[in-house]
Amino acid sequence: MKYKIFILPIFLFTLFLVSCTKPSAVPQQFTEVKEDAVIYPDYRDVTIPPNIAPLNFMVTDDAADAFVTQVGDLVCGAGKDGKFDLDTLAWRQMLSATKGGDLSVSVFAHRESGWVKHPDFTLHVAEEEIDPFLSYRLIEPGYELYRQLGLYQRNLTNFTEHVIYENNRAFSDEDNHCVNCHNYQAYDTDRMLFHVRGQHGGTIIVQGGEAHKIAIKHDSILSAGVYPSWHPTLPLVAFSTNKTGQVFHLQHPEKIEVLDEASDLLLYDAEKNTVQNVLRSKEYMETFPCWAPDGRRLYYCCAKVPESLMADYTAFQVALKYDSLFYDIYSMPFDPDTRSFGEPRLEVNASADRHSISVPRVSPDGRFLLFTKGDYGQFHIWHQSADLWVKTLTSADGLPSLTGEGSGERLYPLSAANSPEAESYHSWSSNGRWIAFVSRREDQNFSRVFITYFDREGQARRAFLLPQQDPEHNTLLLKSYNVPELSKRAVQVSFETLKHVVYHTEAETATFKE
Amino acid sequence: MSKKIFQHWGLILFFLLAWLWASWWMGDVMRIAYERSFFAPDATLMYWLWQQPFGWLWIIGRVLLLTYHWPWAGGLLVAVLLTAGSWLVGYCLRLPQRWRWLQYLPAGVWMMWTATVGLNLFYAREPGRILGVPFLMVTLFAIAALITWLAAQHSSPLPSSPKGEWAFILICFALPVCTLHFQHPYIRPLTRMQVQLLHDDFEGISRTAHEHAEMSYRQMAGYYAIALARTGHLAEQLFDIKLDFDTITTYNYGGHPTSTLNYHIIDCDYHAGLIRAARHYVMEDLTMDGPSLFTLKYMVKISLLEGDWVLARKYLHILRKVPFEGTFLRKYEPMVERPDLIQADPEFAFILNMLPPYHTFEQMDEKPAFVGFYANMRGFQNKEALIWSTVACLYSKRMPAFLQRCQRLVGTTPPRSIAEGLLLESYKEPAILKAFPQLEMLVDRFELFLQDASPYMDDRERGSEALFEKYHGYYPYYYFFGNLRNTRRPSDDEPAANKAGVN
Repeated sequence: MKYKIFILPIFLFTLFLVSCTKPSAVPQQFTEVKEDAVIYPDYRDVTIPPNIAPLNFMVTDDAADAFVTQVGDLVCGAGKDGKFDLDTLAWRQMLSATKGGDLSVSVFAHRESGWVKHPDFTLHVAEEEIDPFLSYRLIEPGYELYRQLGLYQRNLTNFTEHVIYENNRAFSDEDNHCVNCHNYQAYDTDRMLFHVRGQHGGTIIVQGGEAHKIAIKHDSILSAGVYPSWHPTLPLVAFSTNKTGQVFHLQHPEKIEVLDEASDLLLYDAEKNTVQNVLRSKEYMETFPCWAPDGRRLYYCCAKVPESLMADYTAFQVALKYDSLFYDIYSMPFDPDTRSFGEPRLEVNASADRHSISVPRVSPDGRFLLFTKGDYGQFHIWHQSADLWVKTLTSADGLPSLTGEGSGERLYPLSAANSPEAESYHSWSSNGRWIAFVSRREDQNFSRVFITYFDREGQARRAFLLPQQDPEHNTLLLKSYNVPELSKRAVQVSFETLKHVVYHTEAETATFKE
Repeated sequence: MSKKIFQHWGLILFFLLAWLWASWWMGDVMRIAYERSFFAPDATLMYWLWQQPFGWLWIIGRVLLLTYHWPWAGGLLVAVLLTAGSWLVGYCLRLPQRWRWLQYLPAGVWMMWTATVGLNLFYAREPGRILGVPFLMVTLFAIAALITWLAAQHSSPLPSSPKGEWAFILICFALPVCTLHFQHPYIRPLTRMQVQLLHDDFEGISRTAHEHAEMSYRQMAGYYAIALARTGHLAEQLFDIKLDFDTITTYNYGGHPTSTLNYHIIDCDYHAGLIRAARHYVMEDLTMDGPSLFTLKYMVKISLLEGDWVLARKYLHILRKVPFEGTFLRKYEPMVERPDLIQADPEFAFILNMLPPYHTFEQMDEKPAFVGFYANMRGFQNKEALIWSTVACLYSKRMPAFLQRCQRLVGTTPPRSIAEGLLLESYKEPAILKAFPQLEMLVDRFELFLQDASPYMDDRERGSEALFEKYHGYYPYYYFFGNLRNTRRPSDDEPAANKAGVN
């Protein structure tokens, strides 16, 4: 008991020491230096939403023992580790007051000779907010095995991360499973889904706060439902169904190729639990469906199977042709009343110049088609050539294009947001002003979430890394971010409910409709 | 004072034996457990372990395991834990004099556990358990002892009966030592070879392999092959040891029997220049076991070899947070800024020399037998790679592929094993003798071998034993009597592209 009296003084002394090592005011005397501060993440001259969490960053300078930053009026100190933890409340107020304006950021470093000031940089604060929730999967950038992984939802206005669903934390052979392909209807979470593969497998469909497990299987369906897209208003999901494999390069600039041996498109009715084939052929591989925001057109990627593979090909033979598979974007009109599709139309002909496209996503205003373009194949997250590209879908007079070939149509890369490394799996915010996507630009291996502003003229700005409370987090995390999806609301169903459905309910097989 | 110490002579003896056992007998095993473990004082890096059931305990176990950076220090810690635990048990239970030996029972059970689980001490199991469990035991005993002390206010434990205590202490150590030696005889030499590899002690690996030449395990042969390749003796000495591979059986995460090949294949692939295949298995390891010093260090090396500077920096940054890894950092950190140091490093230079000079997919070659995919190599950067592949063909007894490679050696003096292989084949194809006239000098020995071998041609298992002493290291002996159980299964040839899953 007598020792307890020492605890409080020790704690206070420690607090004193810690506070001593972090300066709390802008230095009055300093020398200006020309070299830029080495900061991570590099937030120089990025455009940020007015509701984003503080852009905490760290400075690396071996010669310095303390740092100070001034962001607008906000001052923050850091010790030798150079990590700035900006005050959330003050940051929020400052951003609200700076909508549409700029914030100047100064960085001071305390070296043996005294304080030095690095050149300032600017943060541009946009007028438009970003949807406050971002869902993603965290998984090791893997090869074949998986262990602990899950779907998580990050509140972008602060640093809270919430578990949507996690597989077994401690390994269990009987319960081991993977989860993937979470998807929401029209940026809301009232209707959502994700897949469970392995033990307890099935597709988890959430509607109106209730979750249930379904299985999509039929002799005419290649595998289960894979890449999903919720119809913006109806209880319908367009799925691709894919026979997918992967091969590992032994000596090549790329590391992995994920290839489809075959793929088709399906339409699933979540109310009636029925499924039907939409496109099914051996000559073509269709994948990555995506509804137009009005729900009257379905976009998808499609590759012609190379002639040399037409006769009873195997995954092995497909792998040998990995760099000869080129996907284009097609679209089909959809009649919501009859629930029938019209004739396919070529939207982007990438194969003509031996390129390949994946993940088409139409902007909420229907004006832009965003996609990933790479040199070949469709699993572009493993391709360094993969960049974000846009096709304008409206003609010069601003009306939606009906023919797909109208005047004013343009195809161009989002150069300001792209990097020499892979960019892929992008998601629009509901107001169409923000795009979240993953990129391997940080270290070529671990995909991280980046956010870019997309202006009314269809141009992107320099993208910024998803901010974390600890700016070192993205360096230390040994998992990759997959499939970032923005949404207006948090997921309504609890982890416990989803876990109960995954573990304790049988998947109800969808009725097949001819 | 001396009388008081004398009362505890049993504990002192136990402590000394425990130190010896934990640092000398188990030192290499624990050092490899240390390499398979990871601890850094950082919440992000340890989160995955923290969230596991008993994660806090495994973290403590991993912290304690850090002492095995120096096996004598780790051994000292284990000895202190076991001795303290034993004393506390004795103190708490206040056992009558003749039952005092029972105080060593928990420590003895723990030592037996380390011996019986074999490689599952750390393979597909949490390494934090190794010292986490004794730590928890000692903590619980200490709490119990405190309560006992507060409740009874008694003095020190009663003196014990020397004979019973001595005998039990000896049993406590003899049982785990014998269990490890007889039940898992490969563990100590195998882990010694791994430790020797950590220190680039290739002569040491060869020595260990020769000391256990009759102990034939695929994993040990893999390290032996690495050592021979690095010292330039692969084509002379590979067949010196028994290569009739027994399978080391351990249990995977699901509790199903498995070999540990995927564990060791990282070392083998890496040193065979198959750095992508090594990377594949390292990433699988990282996924299943979380980060370990072993995987992080390999990722640094592979990233440097592949020119992934940013990635190398990331892994180095993580390793910088790990205590006691300064030597590794001092060696590899400068290479990120100065790639010329990579070429100057003997290990890297050797591996860069061995890179396959053509494109293929990992699944389209045969799964590694002992030194990567080299038996199937189709192109060679240099003569060393050609020799290595030729020896791999000899090892896998693929004589048509062997002869194909030997075409490029015409006009040279082939190394010993290759010459013996050529002589063997010359009995089917006499033209070989014309291409390699120096083989004539080997004919006498071969004929003598055929004489000695003829009685055993119908019972090769027996011949393997009977002729080993006289002919080990002689390729025709290996061809007829060696590696009898290493028959290739049809499934080995099947391309794995179909089987690959995508996460």
